[in-house]
Amino acid sequence: MTPVYLAGSGLACALGLNTQASAVALSSDTHAVSFNSAPSDIGAPFPFRAIADVHGNWNERARALIGQVALEAGAYHARAGALFIATSSFDIGAVEQGAERMDYTSFADKVAAWLEWMGPVFVISTACTSSLTALLAAHALLRSGEEQEALVLGLEIKNQLSLDGFAALQLLSPSHSQPFGVDRDGLVLGEAVAALRLSTREPSLWKMLGGANVVDGRVPTSASVAAVVRMYQIALNQCGLAAQDIDLIKVQAAGSPVNDAVEAQGLREMFPVQPPLVSLKPSLGHTMGASGAAEIALLMACLAQNQWPPCSHAADEALGVRCTARPPDTVRRILASILGFGGGHATVVLERT
Amino acid sequence: MSHFSVSGRCVAAPPPADWREHLAQMLGARPRRVDAWAELGLYGALRCMADSGEKVLPPDAILLLSSRRGTYAATEAALEQMQDDLLMPLTFLQTQPSQLLALLAAQMDWLGHACFFAATQPDDLLRLAAVQAGAGGVLLGCVDEIDGGFTNWLRLRRDTVEKYDFKAAFSDWMPSPDGYRLRVLEARENP
Repeated sequence: MTPVYLAGSGLACALGLNTQASAVALSSDTHAVSFNSAPSDIGAPFPFRAIADVHGNWNERARALIGQVALEAGAYHARAGALFIATSSFDIGAVEQGAERMDYTSFADKVAAWLEWMGPVFVISTACTSSLTALLAAHALLRSGEEQEALVLGLEIKNQLSLDGFAALQLLSPSHSQPFGVDRDGLVLGEAVAALRLSTREPSLWKMLGGANVVDGRVPTSASVAAVVRMYQIALNQCGLAAQDIDLIKVQAAGSPVNDAVEAQGLREMFPVQPPLVSLKPSLGHTMGASGAAEIALLMACLAQNQWPPCSHAADEALGVRCTARPPDTVRRILASILGFGGGHATVVLERT
Repeated sequence: MSHFSVSGRCVAAPPPADWREHLAQMLGARPRRVDAWAELGLYGALRCMADSGEKVLPPDAILLLSSRRGTYAATEAALEQMQDDLLMPLTFLQTQPSQLLALLAAQMDWLGHACFFAATQPDDLLRLAAVQAGAGGVLLGCVDEIDGGFTNWLRLRRDTVEKYDFKAAFSDWMPSPDGYRLRVLEARENP
């Protein structure tokens, strides 16, 4: 089987404008991050993790941020390969500002032109799991030998529709995100642009072994235990691994009262001996379709720099799981998971080479 | 894609005038809380599955859906509601193309890999379907409300005799106003 390496990553988020700065800011107690209120007529304003210091209209911000993360990920080496744009909101922010009405191909053409991309261009949208679904698609394309390089671009830039939509669904916390916390009361949204470059010709420290995406439509607005378990089973089987081979799980755990409990039950059923868990959402925010790529980029930087997110809130003992406050001593294999509405459950398996 | 057989298909471009009645018959009732794009998708997918002689997808099959403008009508409605400060949760959910994937999975009582995707070249969609599909094959859809609407689906399997001509089926799958022919088919004709 052709190894698929995670050859580069880039990230712009509320924590910083590159992976290194974001990892340093993540472990800081001061949490020097930007907060914007999400304007909403549904009750009080909600906090939002915004990217600071990048101004302009939606298209201008998107172009600047995409160019920046692509450069950091070394996308120049991949421009003849496949580009996967993963998003739940497409360029609706530009539409809100008067641009042409939404058209997926035009959106793909626009982003490809910004990057001077030469290879095939895909848009992937599976709500919050979009980036991981795109990673799985890119991995399949590279493993088959059809392409040697791919760039997965997670793109979620502030727009009113997403903010008001999540507020209307009553999924937002009025204060902060508390993954698996006893006082968890919802998630905090954020914006991020992240790039993960996959390659079969450039060996690197981490490779992607595979993963799984399981859609369970029976409860379209939340996760299901059966799908969480199935997702992990498929991913481990596909990679020839057992539960005890996993050293760290980057969980969804956005602080949702219901979804955190569902995820916790799935983890308990799948992992009798619980590996260390980490959630990056309290500092990064839930960056929706970009979250899979953004959180992997951030986690890789954390492990490289020995940084770790603070975990100061009280855990909900009834859930039987909790996030680890310190980085594990050794991490060889990671599961990185995202659960989303639309019944999406996705995970990818990463292994240190 | 040549190792797939086309075991079922639905080409409804545009769908017949009474497609909603047909959908209600297939479901046993009119669908509720579903917008027109998702209804169109349901109609085509279920007809395609019936044509293939299947009620549910195998667990190792994948469900792939594409579109040119997808949920644009629901998105327009959501933006209008937002201007009036009355964005409804259901309308927001309907702006997500993945809601149709969930709807189809629920209708077939199926759990599996499902994805909404679009590409600048249609044949790239087929290429991605081929590398991701397992033994259970693919249910591949393309659904739009524009230009009178269409809902075109193919059931591609590896374990059955071809029921339809592969080349013709793909030519019909994605309607193209400019007569664009899939490069993959031309490559098959002129290898």
